[in-house]
Amino acid sequence: MEVKTSKGHLKVHKMKKKVLRKQVRAQHTLMRHEGIECISHPTQSLVIANAGLGNGMSRQQLLRIVEEYGLVETLLMPPNKPYSFVKYGTTEEAKKAFDALNGKEVTLEDFGQNIVLYINFVEKAQKTLKHRRVKHFGYEFCYDNNNVNKDKPLPGGLPEICDLFLEKCLKQGYIEHKPDQLTVNQYEPGQGIPPHIDTHSAFEDKIISLSLGAEIVMDFKHPDGHTVAIMLPRCSLLVMAGESRYLWTHGITPRKYDIIQASELGQKVGTITADVGDLTLNRRETRTSFTFRKVRRSPCNCIYPSVCDSQKGQQRQVQPSFPHNDMEASKLEQEYVHKVYEEIATHFSSTRHSPWPRIVEFLRSLPKGSIVADVGCGNGKYLGINKDLYMVGCDRSKNLADICGEKNFQAFVCDALSVPIRSGSCDACISIAVIHHFSTVERRLATICELARLLRPGGTALIYVWAMEQEYKNQKSKYLKEKNDSKDKEEEINIGGVQRPLSDQMPDSSSQDSACSDRLLNDLNDEGCAAKLVADSRLPVHTNRTSFHSQDLLVPWHLKGGTKKKGESIDTVSSPAGSKESQELSPVFHRYYHVFCEGELEAACRSLDCVRVQKSYYDQGNWCVVLEKL
Amino acid sequence: MKLLTHNLLSSHVRGLRPGGGFPLQIQASEVRVRPVPFNAAFVARLVPRLRWAALLEAAESLGHPSELPPEPAADYEGDESFLRRVHHILLEVEVLEGVLQCPDSGRRFPISRGIPNMLLSEEEA
Repeated sequence: MEVKTSKGHLKVHKMKKKVLRKQVRAQHTLMRHEGIECISHPTQSLVIANAGLGNGMSRQQLLRIVEEYGLVETLLMPPNKPYSFVKYGTTEEAKKAFDALNGKEVTLEDFGQNIVLYINFVEKAQKTLKHRRVKHFGYEFCYDNNNVNKDKPLPGGLPEICDLFLEKCLKQGYIEHKPDQLTVNQYEPGQGIPPHIDTHSAFEDKIISLSLGAEIVMDFKHPDGHTVAIMLPRCSLLVMAGESRYLWTHGITPRKYDIIQASELGQKVGTITADVGDLTLNRRETRTSFTFRKVRRSPCNCIYPSVCDSQKGQQRQVQPSFPHNDMEASKLEQEYVHKVYEEIATHFSSTRHSPWPRIVEFLRSLPKGSIVADVGCGNGKYLGINKDLYMVGCDRSKNLADICGEKNFQAFVCDALSVPIRSGSCDACISIAVIHHFSTVERRLATICELARLLRPGGTALIYVWAMEQEYKNQKSKYLKEKNDSKDKEEEINIGGVQRPLSDQMPDSSSQDSACSDRLLNDLNDEGCAAKLVADSRLPVHTNRTSFHSQDLLVPWHLKGGTKKKGESIDTVSSPAGSKESQELSPVFHRYYHVFCEGELEAACRSLDCVRVQKSYYDQGNWCVVLEKL
Repeated sequence: MKLLTHNLLSSHVRGLRPGGGFPLQIQASEVRVRPVPFNAAFVARLVPRLRWAALLEAAESLGHPSELPPEPAADYEGDESFLRRVHHILLEVEVLEGVLQCPDSGRRFPISRGIPNMLLSEEEA
C-alpha cells in the first residue's frame, strides 16, 4: 500500500499548478498572435503548443507521439509555426492524449533540445488562417525586412481622393510632412496584426491612421511590460508620435470580440480601464484602416536607441571614454545619462518608491511654509513627503518630470547646471543621486554652485552621491547585501574603487548672480584617496552588486517587465527562427557614474566661499553633505 | 504649474542683463482651478518670499484678477480674508497647457500637462 506524505502531495500540487499556469499562458499567446481560440470542453481536435515545424519538431516524431493515444485523422503542421493540430477519431482519444501530453517534456530528435508540450482543445484543426488584406500606395512595404524600398516608388503615388484629408491633417498639426506612403489594411473579425513598432529608419515621426467601417481595440505595450488598450472608434484618426511611435509596440489581437467601456461605445477614443462595472463585449465588424506615413530619407536619431534600427549598430561599436573637455562631457552625459533615463523612466520610477529615512528627516526638520527645490527629482519620490513645505522638483528627463506631473506635484524640465529658479528664493534644496552623473570635476562643482545660488542666506542643501566605498566601517551597504536577492531592484548605492587623479585647475565660474568664488582643486589631492593612474581612458562597465574598481564607470540597467517573477522562464511558446516576433532579451542600458571617494564631496563643497558644510556623513553606500548658505 | 511656482521661475537664457528673464509671461491655453486646503500660517510664511508685482500680473494674464492690493498691507499676517485670496491665487490656479515667454530674449518654453519644459539647447545655455 502506498502512502503519500503530505510533502509529496504538496509537490505534486505545485507542479500541476505550474503546468496549468504555463498552459494558460500558451493559450493567450496563441490567441494573441495567431487567432486560435482554445476551448475548455473536450473535442476531437487539439492544438499542441511548442511542437511545430517552426520550432524544430518533425512530422515523423510528432506522429509517433500522438498515434499512441488513438486513431489520428489529421495531423496539421503549418509551416514556420511553433504549434500543430491533431484530430482524433473520437473525443475520448483526444482526451487521453490531452491528459498524457499536457506538460510533458519531450526531446526534439533533430536538435537534441528539450521542450515542454502544452495542449488545448480547439473547435477545428486549421491549416492556415485567413490573413488580413493589405494594399500599399506610394512605396511598397516589404514584410521580410519591415522596411520600404526607397529607390523604387510605386507609380501613381497616393490616390487623389486623400489630398484634401491630408491637407487638413497638415493644417491641424497632426503631421509635419505630407505623407508619401499609404498602407490600407482590412480586418475581418478574427484578424489582427502582431505587436510591432513601425521601423524607425523607414518612416518619419508622426504616423496617422484613419479607421473606417468599425471600431476596434488596439493594444500598446511598453518595453517594461506595461500595456494600454485603446479604443479606436469609427471615423477616428490615430496619431502616433514620439514614444508611441518609436518605443511602444502596437498591435491588434486577432479575435472576434473586444472588451470596451460600455459608457463610451462609439463615442470617444479612450483607454480601456479596469473598471469592471463598465465593461462590455463588442462584436467586431470589418474595419479598414488607412495608415499614412512619410518615408524617411536620413537615419533615425530618436531618443530610444535600444529599439532603433538606425542607432543599434552604432551603439555597440563606440566605446565611450573619459571626457577631456566640457563638450565631450556633455556628449557622454547625453548618451549615457539623459537618453537612458528617458527610455527607462517608467521602470525606473517603479523601483524608486521607498524614501530614505535620513532624507525624510531632513525634510521634516524644515519650518512650515519653506520653499524647497528638489534638483534631479526623478519620479517625485520626495516631493510629497512633507505637506507643510512647498516643494518644486526639476529633472533633466521629460518622462520623469511628466510622472511627477501625473502625481500632481510641481515640477519642470531643466538641466541641473542651469536651474531656471531665481537666486536666493529657496529655503532649502535637495539633490539626491544626481551630481554623480556629471562627468568632469568642473561640471560637478558647477551643480553644487547652482544649488548654493538657489538658497537664501541661512538656507540649507542636502546632497547625496554614490560612494566608491560600498563597505564602510565593516558594514556592507544594502547594494552589496542584496547581491543574492532578486536582481530586479537596484538601489541607488555607490561603490568604492580605485581613484583617478583629479584634474588640475578649475576655471573661474562665471554663473550669474553667483556669490561663489572658486579655489583650485589641487587641494583635493591631499584628502586621503590613493591616486592611481589609469592607463586606458575607456570607461569600464561595472558588474552590478559588486565593489567598484574605478571612479568613472558605466553601470548596467536591466529593463524588466512589470510583473515578471523571479525564476519564471521567458516564454512557453518559443518563436520560430526568422519570425518577426523575435523574443528579445530584456535590453541593457549603461549609465555613466562618477562615484565619490571619502571626503571628495565635502572637499568640493568646502572649496566654495558662499557655503559652509554643516554636516557630512555616510548613509547606505552614499556620501552625504548638508550645506548652509552664508 | 501653480502661480507660486511661476513666481519662482526665471529664464536662464545666456546673455541676459542682470535681473533679466523675470517674470516669464504666461500664455495659457488651459487653466484649471482646484481647491487646496487653506492653512493661514503656511500662506503667511510665503508672502514675504513673493515677487508681488509679478504675481498680480500673472493672475491678470490668466483672467483671474486677484483682487489683491498693489502691496501686502503691514498687518497681512492677521488678515484672514487677504490670506485666503493669496492662497487661492498662489495654490489653486494651475496652468495645464500653454507657453512661458522670456520677456527679454523672447524664448518660449512650452507647458504640457502642467509641466513646463525649461530645457535649453547647448547653444542657448
